[in-house]
Amino acid sequence: MSGDGGAGAHGTPLDQDPATLEIVRHALGSVADEMALIIARTAYSATVRDALDYSTGILNAGGELVAQGLGIALHLGSFPSAVGRIVETYGPTLQPGDVFILNDPYGWGGIHLPDIYIIKPIFHGGSVLAFAATVAHHTDVGGLIPGSNSTTTTEIFQEGIRLPGVRLYEGGRLNQAILDIIAANVRVPHKVLGDLRAQLAAVDAGERGYLDLVRRYGADGLAALEEALLNLAERMARREIASFPDGVYRQVAWIDNDSVDPGPVRIEVAVTIAGDTIKVDLAGTSPQVRGGINSPLPFTKSAVYAATRLVLDRSIPNSAGYFRAIEVVAPAASVVNPDFPAACGARGITGFRVMDAVTGALAQAVPDRVPADGEGGNTLVSIGANDQAGQPFVFIEMFCGSRGAGQGYDGPAGVPHPGSNNANLPIEIAESTYPVSYREYGLVQDSAGPGQWRGAPALVRDFDYLGSDGQVQVRSDKRDHPPFGLAGGGPGRRSMTTVDHAGEITERPVMGPSPILTGDRFRHELASGAGWGNPLARDPEAVLRDVRNDLISAARAALDYGVVISPDGTVDAEETTASRARSAPAE
Amino acid sequence: MDNLPSAPTARIGADIGGTFTDVALVDGNGRLAIHKVVSTPPDFGRAVAEVVERLQRDGAVGPETEVIHGTTVATNAILERRGARTALLTTDGFRDVLELRRARAPELYDARYVPPPPLVDRRWRIGLRERIGPEGQVLVPIDEAEVRRVIAFLAAEGVESIAVCLLHSFRNPSHERLIGRILEETAAYTSLSVDLLPVIGEYERTSTTVVNAYIGPVVSRYVLDLAADLRRIAGIGRLQVMQSSGGLMSAARAARQPAQIVESGPAGGVIAGVRLGEVSAARDLICLDMGGTTAKASVIEGGVPTLTSEYEVGSGISLSSQMSKGRGYALKVPVLDIAEVGAGGGSIVTADPLGTILVGPHSAGAVPGPVCYAAGGTHATVTDANVVLGFVNPEAIAGGSRAIHPDLAHRAIRDDVASPLGLSVEAAAHGVFGVATATMARAVKAVTTYRGRDPRDFVLLAFGGNGPIFAAALAESLGMRHVRIPAAAGVFSALGLLEAEEAWHLSQSVFAVSAALDPDDLVRHYRVLERRLLDELAEGETRAVEITWGADVRYAGQGYDLTIPVDRTGAPGDLVARLRETFHATHARAYGHAAESDEIELVNVRVTGRLPRSGAISRATAASGQGASSRSIWLGPRLGRHVAPVLDRADLRMPVMGPVLIEEPDTTTVVPPGWSARLDEQNTIVMEHVA
Repeated sequence: MSGDGGAGAHGTPLDQDPATLEIVRHALGSVADEMALIIARTAYSATVRDALDYSTGILNAGGELVAQGLGIALHLGSFPSAVGRIVETYGPTLQPGDVFILNDPYGWGGIHLPDIYIIKPIFHGGSVLAFAATVAHHTDVGGLIPGSNSTTTTEIFQEGIRLPGVRLYEGGRLNQAILDIIAANVRVPHKVLGDLRAQLAAVDAGERGYLDLVRRYGADGLAALEEALLNLAERMARREIASFPDGVYRQVAWIDNDSVDPGPVRIEVAVTIAGDTIKVDLAGTSPQVRGGINSPLPFTKSAVYAATRLVLDRSIPNSAGYFRAIEVVAPAASVVNPDFPAACGARGITGFRVMDAVTGALAQAVPDRVPADGEGGNTLVSIGANDQAGQPFVFIEMFCGSRGAGQGYDGPAGVPHPGSNNANLPIEIAESTYPVSYREYGLVQDSAGPGQWRGAPALVRDFDYLGSDGQVQVRSDKRDHPPFGLAGGGPGRRSMTTVDHAGEITERPVMGPSPILTGDRFRHELASGAGWGNPLARDPEAVLRDVRNDLISAARAALDYGVVISPDGTVDAEETTASRARSAPAE
Repeated sequence: MDNLPSAPTARIGADIGGTFTDVALVDGNGRLAIHKVVSTPPDFGRAVAEVVERLQRDGAVGPETEVIHGTTVATNAILERRGARTALLTTDGFRDVLELRRARAPELYDARYVPPPPLVDRRWRIGLRERIGPEGQVLVPIDEAEVRRVIAFLAAEGVESIAVCLLHSFRNPSHERLIGRILEETAAYTSLSVDLLPVIGEYERTSTTVVNAYIGPVVSRYVLDLAADLRRIAGIGRLQVMQSSGGLMSAARAARQPAQIVESGPAGGVIAGVRLGEVSAARDLICLDMGGTTAKASVIEGGVPTLTSEYEVGSGISLSSQMSKGRGYALKVPVLDIAEVGAGGGSIVTADPLGTILVGPHSAGAVPGPVCYAAGGTHATVTDANVVLGFVNPEAIAGGSRAIHPDLAHRAIRDDVASPLGLSVEAAAHGVFGVATATMARAVKAVTTYRGRDPRDFVLLAFGGNGPIFAAALAESLGMRHVRIPAAAGVFSALGLLEAEEAWHLSQSVFAVSAALDPDDLVRHYRVLERRLLDELAEGETRAVEITWGADVRYAGQGYDLTIPVDRTGAPGDLVARLRETFHATHARAYGHAAESDEIELVNVRVTGRLPRSGAISRATAASGQGASSRSIWLGPRLGRHVAPVLDRADLRMPVMGPVLIEEPDTTTVVPPGWSARLDEQNTIVMEHVA
């Protein structure tokens, strides 16, 4: 059997027939994709079925990820921790038909309580060959606030039901008690159980698909091919890393606050590129905080892997092989490696910021591969109360999509942070499902971070709330620390949350809970994408196009870009040249 | 509409590809003739007109002739961004829905992903002050004066085409209809979302309407010009266009709803497969259509082709499009579920320095073509590998009209693949063959495995110029034991056009849990759609329209629905109970579980109308008389080298065992060792894996 996780770079991918390797790579990817598709098509919650906040993967017997479906990058790097703990605990007692469930970040490889893992060992000839694994973000797992992603919890006991790694199925027999206990502890059991069924259908499909491959290639043959794929990924990653300039690259990213204590939370990284390895040391990062944004180590590692992968060749096989070239060091009892029982319900924001810090550091080494900073990860808005018919509901919206600009292109609008590739919640579905009525979903004029290539404008979502009086929990960021530009590009605009109550508009925290009353109008503007390169170098025609498309006003065109628009609606070339010369005196 | 023929008259199927235009003619006596001519880009209709002109001079066609056309003009208008100057009228506050899409990038780890630019500039996306609520209630009435002001502005901007999509219009179309009436007074091409797609989901509905508007002027000009040419040349008054769903529509209707014909091109082959399946009692088929640039896979299950309504146009090669959205423009109309991958005979092959072989997606096309054509091609292709392996005639193909240079093929595979990977030329060519097969297997899996179907339950029907070369190997890689190669495999799609029936699909959102459904109301929904459909479909037709009902259903709370058939002849009273029963069974089959205690939700009702064809079956014959020969072929390290007899299709009237090559002007069928081959009554090659 292959894969003790430390096989290193010794195996050569070429000891396998290249055509077969390519075939198996596709085949494993197909299995993971099929798992993902089944979840999307059968899940019950808007978070999973519409926002697509879940992931799927296949791991080898040693717990290394050999294939992943199209999912959430921040999840995928955490699979090995969760499966590893199952193997350590149950290894000799595993039997065909077992299915495990877990969500506990303390000791079980979980990443926060709403993310529930379903893991099925795949047997053949009496031994475990692989694992089919899925993780999905459940709408609610109980705890202090509806949606279970509170920022103001101060220990995990307030965050909902904790599931250590236990058998949901034992030898093919369902342990109904576990489902009953879950159902009794969550606010919307129908949705949670429906989503769990979708995950179970997915691991069954993963098992079927995998065993088809075993029949074709044999258990040992397939294991060897997987090892070759891991080696190939590792080799491709190392070759690329070796081409990056050696050095120590430092970057600090900030989270505005943890919503419990004032003051920013510091994420510091030192990225050391030495030969064909990358070491990411998070020394200097804030100690763990009281609020619920502590990122368990598996999630932190996942964030580092995902961020590193962003600067590597996209054709690298989607396996964990490239992890081998990356070392992660996180100080104990810090916000990126918290001690039990630190709260972590809203740790997503910390994962995003770890990614931003790592990519920011890597931008110093490979500037053309990293775009400027964007919205900072999705804004999570949750409300739980009763709808107009008196029925309880939990509304979760993952609002995302303002990316920074890169060298040679404007930041795209509507594209999420690469750490969390979720979809939006359609307006017509939201209004047909929840007590909300939207006023606006669109782009905000004059918000894009200026640059030779500009960032995406800020996105806004703005709705009238029609449910009973309740609390709205917002998990956003970038109010105090706006997105940073690169290569002379301007910063993005800050995020903002407001509530209009009976005509009186007040600003609300971008992180934390606040009351929301029937008839209130809730509005959140994401931070916008930052710019790349000097705005004065932007093609005046591109500026004009933005003015004609109402993305920037003529006034900002003049102010930020030195572009003067004539009364006839064309660029005044002479005035523009003069204006730009005044703004940027000869260097 | 014109007088209908009372007896069979000549019909023409015209299938336009990037390289060749295939024209199949069935005359009044049921005789089939095939004409293959070089396509005439960018004016693709010209090739058709020229062939028809020739046929008219020969007296083969006349005013009674019906022309059925499969075209890629709509797809190309999007791929090449040659659509109209288009505007979008929508609800105030939501003009960016089109640009923001459904969020989500199509690939993990792509920091630099940029979606394709919206088909309508923001300046021309205009929000109107009006609002319909989720129950169809008017929250803010529309202001006719504002509509007129906006339309006047767009006219002044030179906008040629206007899409209209308002929030919740599928529940209450009155505001869109009002705008439609005002637009009728203008010269602009008009597309209303309620005409095209009255279903929930603002992005997909908006995008579909915009695609229709964007390609509308180009497509309507094309089909109406072609119709005029046909009338002028031969007095032909009946031009039908293949829809993406595999049914036909009149040229006039295609001009109004071009969104329905975006995947017109590849649909012919699937329909041909359906008809061949009917006459040869093969109900469960996987169609593989492999041409010069791409391979397309689709499924026929129980005699019915699979339709999807999750589709993106303009995304280049589509694979598993369900998960991987964001490369093209969402188009939510019924489309035959065809997975397309960049593996064709002309696909360029390269060696990754780290030890893998890559096939496509770039293609050498027909010009310059594979290196072995000696027509200027410099990159090794799949066909070059097939020449090295001995699968392709080493002297000439296409009935002798295209010379082949095996030495050039050998050199290309050596330089581009074998040397970089340290392999022998044979091993490299076999590797290319294997990777191309694997790539096609992904397409097959996209329409089978990903949908919960096992390919081993199906027969592989392979056609197109290159499909028969790969068929057996592809089948083996998927564990499939049965393969069929139809007669006239190289022009099978054109035959499919002759076999297609006129069809029309209408749907209406209901969005109600089954407990809240009144069977009488439900039947009323269906009857209203039926009436609308008959009005639209018939257009003076007197032949009987065959109506079927369907429903999009899911468990209450799910976000995706399954389309299930609804028996319209059953008792109306138990309609809801039947919906439940069929859905549980369908869900269990698709996903491996059913939640029978859970409530189900009816999302859309669907009505399909068909004007059936009068049973024209394939008249393609089996060629004979080449004379016996044999050729050395390399089947990889496991099977080794063999000397394979080269036979005509007609020789298979006596069953044979592989290795055998069956050579025809437009393709070669490879029968490997372990496979038997024989001919059936339709002149189809029937291959079985017996080893």
